[in-house]
Amino acid sequence: MTEQTPLLRLDNITRNFGAIEALRGVSFDIARGEVVALLGDNGAGKSTLVKIISGGLEASSGRMIFDGEERMFNSPAEAKAAGIETVYQDLSLCTNVDVVANFFMGREIVKRCFGIPVLQEKAMYDAVEKAITNAGTRIPSLRTNVEHLSGGQRQAIELNRFVHWGGKLVLLDEPFAALGVEQTRRGLEMIKRVAAQGIGVVVITHIMAQAFQVADRMVVIRQGKVAGDVRREDTSPDEVIRMITGEASIGRAQEKKPQLHA
Amino acid sequence: MISSRQRALVEFLLDNLVWIMLAIVLAVFSLTIPNYFQIGIFVNIIEQSTFVGVMAIGLAIVVIAGNMDLSIESTMALSAMITGILFASHGIGIGFTTTPAWLVLPLSLGIAVAVGAVIGALNAWLVVKVRMNAFIVTLAAFIWVRGLVVAISGGRSAQDLAPEIRFMAIEPFLYIPLIAWVAIICFVIFTFIMRKTPFGRHITMIGGNAVATFRAGIRVDRLVAISFVLAGAISGLAGWLLAIRTSGATANLGVGMLFNAFAAVVIGGVSLKGGIGQLPGVYAGVLLIYSIHTAINLMGLPAHYTQMILGGMVLAAVLLDTAKLQIRQKLA
Repeated sequence: MTEQTPLLRLDNITRNFGAIEALRGVSFDIARGEVVALLGDNGAGKSTLVKIISGGLEASSGRMIFDGEERMFNSPAEAKAAGIETVYQDLSLCTNVDVVANFFMGREIVKRCFGIPVLQEKAMYDAVEKAITNAGTRIPSLRTNVEHLSGGQRQAIELNRFVHWGGKLVLLDEPFAALGVEQTRRGLEMIKRVAAQGIGVVVITHIMAQAFQVADRMVVIRQGKVAGDVRREDTSPDEVIRMITGEASIGRAQEKKPQLHA
Repeated sequence: MISSRQRALVEFLLDNLVWIMLAIVLAVFSLTIPNYFQIGIFVNIIEQSTFVGVMAIGLAIVVIAGNMDLSIESTMALSAMITGILFASHGIGIGFTTTPAWLVLPLSLGIAVAVGAVIGALNAWLVVKVRMNAFIVTLAAFIWVRGLVVAISGGRSAQDLAPEIRFMAIEPFLYIPLIAWVAIICFVIFTFIMRKTPFGRHITMIGGNAVATFRAGIRVDRLVAISFVLAGAISGLAGWLLAIRTSGATANLGVGMLFNAFAAVVIGGVSLKGGIGQLPGVYAGVLLIYSIHTAINLMGLPAHYTQMILGGMVLAAVLLDTAKLQIRQKLA
């Protein structure tokens, strides 16, 4: 097996808000097809880091190497164009329009008639139907407004949309906070399916059980620094909790590259 | 569990509820009010609906995008007044003419629309760039633009537009005057734009969730700005039509039409929360308002009864909206 460049490498990322140092030099890698759980207490700097990765905030210093190129994204749109997207709870869907419209949000298929772009509803419907069926997601009608769909279905739409548009790295912010047991189980399965297609997945969560169910690696952020970076099989929930609270600090996985291509 | 066909039918009926209401109201008036059922009455309703109708298109687009535009009535009056001052031959009109004479029609139209667009652009700038509240910005414009109308007219009026423009209000096509056709064509064009183009789709989605559209790479600020400029330009068109209808302009032209436009937009099923609404429904709302207005006139009741009914209808429309939402939730 050849040594592959990581999908995303964060190199000494810092971010200050005035005199406050939200991030004080964060470095870690994410490989293709890897699920990384990003853990940390409230205010540890997780959201700041996620925003920097997805173009919502600029880093004060440090480098980000994505897909072999040094990049810094100035806007979410730029990050998205490169293949990085954050899937927030509910925030990325317009519930007042149907599934098809959401799937093609900002990328509608149009045909120009006398210079006027006209939406091609049939073509878009067919594409969505295909993508949703391939992903094994069930949605009663693609013409239903998203407001009538369940939380799990909404998340499925967002993830399917992301995969369909050639996303490479997806950041999931508390993806299961509003979901029931069965929906969460399906959501975790979906994350594994997404990762199996070679997509990097970062899951931000507070729930240790979920992190251990889905993630290949745990990265713990504490006071703006990486307090722990460990592979799942090398650690335990108790140890991770100690890293979060600051009782232990381990950075083993930094040296030990994760196995690729399962 | 109901079938998808039944569900589609119910959805269709809910979407077009205001048209059904219009049909019922017209049927009831035709049966109960003497002289209501005649072509002249219906033509009159359509003609009266022209100005508020055109204005309501712009308002509806801004509201669907999740904003508010209170300035449309004054913008309309300003465009009408400038058309009057430039092209009317009596009163304060300077009677500007062109060779060939018919050129006055496109020229006056262009000026009226441009005046509206300028006011709209100013609103857009304050809302999008300066980040002021749209309600306040457009309320201020509602006041100062009307002030401007009074100032440039000195409170006096302009009369007598050239016959090359006037024919629009006089000549009928299929019984309906040409200016009313302008309103109908506007509704058709903008319905198409809202339903079938990315612009319309994006405006609707911005009204639903501006954050999501921004994340999706849609240029939200630009589209919101365009919606305000459009509302201004369309109000300018409404002003041009109103000037033609009255063959000139007075300083208090169109006072009170803002409330009719708002009522029409709400009755037509546009949600003030944004993201929901169809333009044909808005036109039906305007027609409904003027059907009732005409009925009250025919019955010889004082005009303020229209206002009371209108107020009641707006409340009913909002209640209906909630009921519709509940039915839809049961369907899903």
